[in-house]
Amino acid sequence: MTTPTAIPAGKAVPPPRPSRLWVRAGWTAVLLVVLAAFWRVNIDWSQLSDFVPSLFHYLRLMFCPPAWSQTSAAFSATILSVQMAWIGSILGILISFPLSFLAARNVVPVWVRLPVRLVLAILRAVPEVVIAILILSVTGLTAWTGALALGIGSIGTLGKWGYESFESVSGGPLEAARATGGSRLAVIRWGLWPQAQPEVLAFWLYRFEISVRSSAILGLIGAGGIGKMLSDNTQYQNWNVVGILLIVVVVVTMIIDQISAVLRQRLITGRWALVGYGARRKALTPTGLA
Amino acid sequence: MSDVPAQPAQPRAARPPRPRRGATPWVIGIVLAAITVWAARGVQIDIPAIWQNFSNASGTLMQLFQPDYGFFPQTLSAIEETLMMAVIATAIGSLGSVPLAFLASRATNPSRALLAAIRFLNNVIRAVPDLLYAAVFVAVVGTGALSGVLALFFFNIGILVKLVSESLDGLDRGPQEAALAAGGTWFAADRVSMLPSVAPSFASQVLYTFEVNIRASTVIGLVGAGGLGVLIDNVRTFYHYHYLSLIILEILVLVLVVETASSMLRKQLAR
Repeated sequence: MTTPTAIPAGKAVPPPRPSRLWVRAGWTAVLLVVLAAFWRVNIDWSQLSDFVPSLFHYLRLMFCPPAWSQTSAAFSATILSVQMAWIGSILGILISFPLSFLAARNVVPVWVRLPVRLVLAILRAVPEVVIAILILSVTGLTAWTGALALGIGSIGTLGKWGYESFESVSGGPLEAARATGGSRLAVIRWGLWPQAQPEVLAFWLYRFEISVRSSAILGLIGAGGIGKMLSDNTQYQNWNVVGILLIVVVVVTMIIDQISAVLRQRLITGRWALVGYGARRKALTPTGLA
Repeated sequence: MSDVPAQPAQPRAARPPRPRRGATPWVIGIVLAAITVWAARGVQIDIPAIWQNFSNASGTLMQLFQPDYGFFPQTLSAIEETLMMAVIATAIGSLGSVPLAFLASRATNPSRALLAAIRFLNNVIRAVPDLLYAAVFVAVVGTGALSGVLALFFFNIGILVKLVSESLDGLDRGPQEAALAAGGTWFAADRVSMLPSVAPSFASQVLYTFEVNIRASTVIGLVGAGGLGVLIDNVRTFYHYHYLSLIILEILVLVLVVETASSMLRKQLAR
């Protein structure tokens, strides 16, 4: 028979609050940086007061009504942008695929993968528009330039997602392939690739979605497609044409996103299903990406 | 006693039959090839042009490897403007996205109709790329940092509302149910239960958005929206590739530093 130990009388003392000094210091620093930015930036905030009315004014000019007569022109310009994105993705996939093997920890030694990773990191950091500006001097202002820029720009991200998914495969099949006397290449082909394949294919599709968005941007600096038509028409203030262009861009982008999301869902889960907005979709995008 | 029973004569081990894959891979391959050929014709792939023009262009491209560091002081104010646009846009974008994200999550918005409307609106916002916003806002409010901040703001709303509402969808709804059962309104329940639970992933997504903003704010100046992009546009019009290479180097350093710092912070948050 155990008797319950007596609780000592007196006021219960709550444990001391954990020190939040560093958290507070961090938030204060963030706040100071934001305030400094607001204070230093060369913006006349009073302009904002007529921003809302003028935004509605321009929205009315664009969409009430949009220039429906330009629909087919807008559509074919968007198709050119999508073609740019497709060719760019194919180029990016062809180049990044071998590179991502050469950057994976479980495939190559450190002295091979560090330089490859450095190249991939640099390619990721340079915006595609800047790559396009550089290539312009070689190939001129064409859609082909845009496709090349998208291709080079996608090597960085595709390569990174590739080696990350290669590194996350389980070691068992690799060991099995090695134990049966498989060569290095055979281990990759039969141990590594089958495990990573669905995810890598899904990333290729996802990167194509991103390239579709970027291809519209590349036109703004003259690389053809919808962006070129858009910058021409904003310059000449043809607002109702801008309206129809925006509508076509949004509709085409959303359709391509939806098709690609369904295909990615099929690749990852093996089932055909409509992909909604929610948590199911989260598993299909690379970590930390919108 | 311990004699092994004779093994029955075994037939040679036969491999299992290969699974039949049918025509599907061929169909997929042909479809992909057809799309590629169609796209290649549209884009007018011109590989010889690269070699033909390369000798002309190699001079300018060589300049890229010789950045003119003397140009650095002139770029400082543009770098500052780029950073400030990114900071301001991240701040107002993350504040503005909070109510919309709660309205866009199945877990925090009981009204299905409003939910569908907000999500559709956000999909539309997300479908417009950052530089298109910049091009339109430059036309509306004129060139300068304000149009850049506005463009980044809409761009951020699109990203953050999607990411945060998906985090909300994935949360444990026990505390919210408790708050509702105790007689709280939806607003009060979400404020005391869902908001604190989503805060760490919200912070991490804001950091990610800041990374995206740094990248975007370096180039939106190309269409007139302030920051380093304005400088890029100026030097490329006059073919000052020594200057351009310095600017690209600065973008590289800026993006890599911010990304490294932000991913370190995000790892801390994830623990």
